[in-house]
Amino acid sequence: MAVRTIEVRERVMARNDELAEQVRSRLAAHGVTAINLVSSPGAGKTTLLEKTLGTLGEELDIAVITGDVQTQNDADRLAVHTRRLVSAVVTGGACHLDALQVMTAIDAIELDQTRLLFIENVGNLVCPANWDLGEKEMIILFAVTEGEDKPLKYPKMFENARRVVMTKTDLLPHVPFDMDRAVANALSVNPKLEVFRVSALTGEGLSGWFDFLRDSARPVTTSG
Amino acid sequence: MGASLRAARAGGRVHEMSLAMEIARIAEEKLGDAAPQLVTVAVDVGDCAGVEPSSLEFCLEAVFATPPFAGARPHILRCSGDVLRVAYLEIDDGRPDD
Ligand SMILES: Nc1nc2c(ncn2[C@@H]2O[C@H](COP(=O)(O)OP(=O)(O)O)[C@@H](O)[C@H]2O)c(=O)[nH]1
Ligand SMILES: [Mg+2]
Repeated sequence: MAVRTIEVRERVMARNDELAEQVRSRLAAHGVTAINLVSSPGAGKTTLLEKTLGTLGEELDIAVITGDVQTQNDADRLAVHTRRLVSAVVTGGACHLDALQVMTAIDAIELDQTRLLFIENVGNLVCPANWDLGEKEMIILFAVTEGEDKPLKYPKMFENARRVVMTKTDLLPHVPFDMDRAVANALSVNPKLEVFRVSALTGEGLSGWFDFLRDSARPVTTSG
Repeated sequence: MGASLRAARAGGRVHEMSLAMEIARIAEEKLGDAAPQLVTVAVDVGDCAGVEPSSLEFCLEAVFATPPFAGARPHILRCSGDVLRVAYLEIDDGRPDD
């Protein structure tokens, strides 16, 4: 038997990372700040985006890409809150968005008219951690209904994120959830995490989130 | 995507499946027409790579059993760190040893 060995030594994520860098430089060239929103399914990504679009959509020229395994539901929900295109990526079974999908999606977005780009990733606390989308930062949503131990169970996501948004704080009186312990768990995995606490339902804590977004978006250029 | 969905339903291994498919893409890129001759695909998997080795192995078996491949065997090489890398490929070109 003539078995030949071919050395490869190629990182599995190499091509995705290369595409992500292309996305990143394209967004940078247009002054677009991209935020990759991740969470387990149902933590409140779309709801937070609905509120965010409602308040800041015009002010910060926000564009959105949503990733969904099978449907366009999130994009439809968000389109109600903005006059701009909400780009829906249906992954057809895949558990995360990849950089190629984002690259294709931003082709349809008017980047010059965009200052802030949200990418709602597929609801999943495992896979998206491996797939760089070319975003400026990944932000993880963590609902008070999920249990305090999630950062310990899914450390890679919490390590890669810069900020964590504790969501559904209006439910705290109804669920046995120790907020301090949950935050301590998140910080034990990633001490640099900045923490927001919000309820998209009551609006509690949203002003801090909005202030952060205002700081993140590039200033409007007055020239031209 | 058919293989991906099937395996995902079989064991909730979507994460490893997407990585297996990326590994198959790399192998196909390297081998071209020789893809059916692939007999072994060796992958370095670090202990901090966020990948379950046996699950990845299962998914690689499934993916490399479908065309253009013809049943290549996965070989998982565990190592330390967050490495996730195609180490080497072995092909049997059917020619007698020289
Ligand atoms: N009580 C409460 N429910 C919320 C809040 N935000 C979202 N939800 C509910 O949680 C469910 C999932 O929200 P969704 O935004 O679709 O989550 P996604 O899967 O992360 O996009 C929906 O039924 C929302 O109405 C919140 O702040 N408080
Ligand atoms: Mg959603």
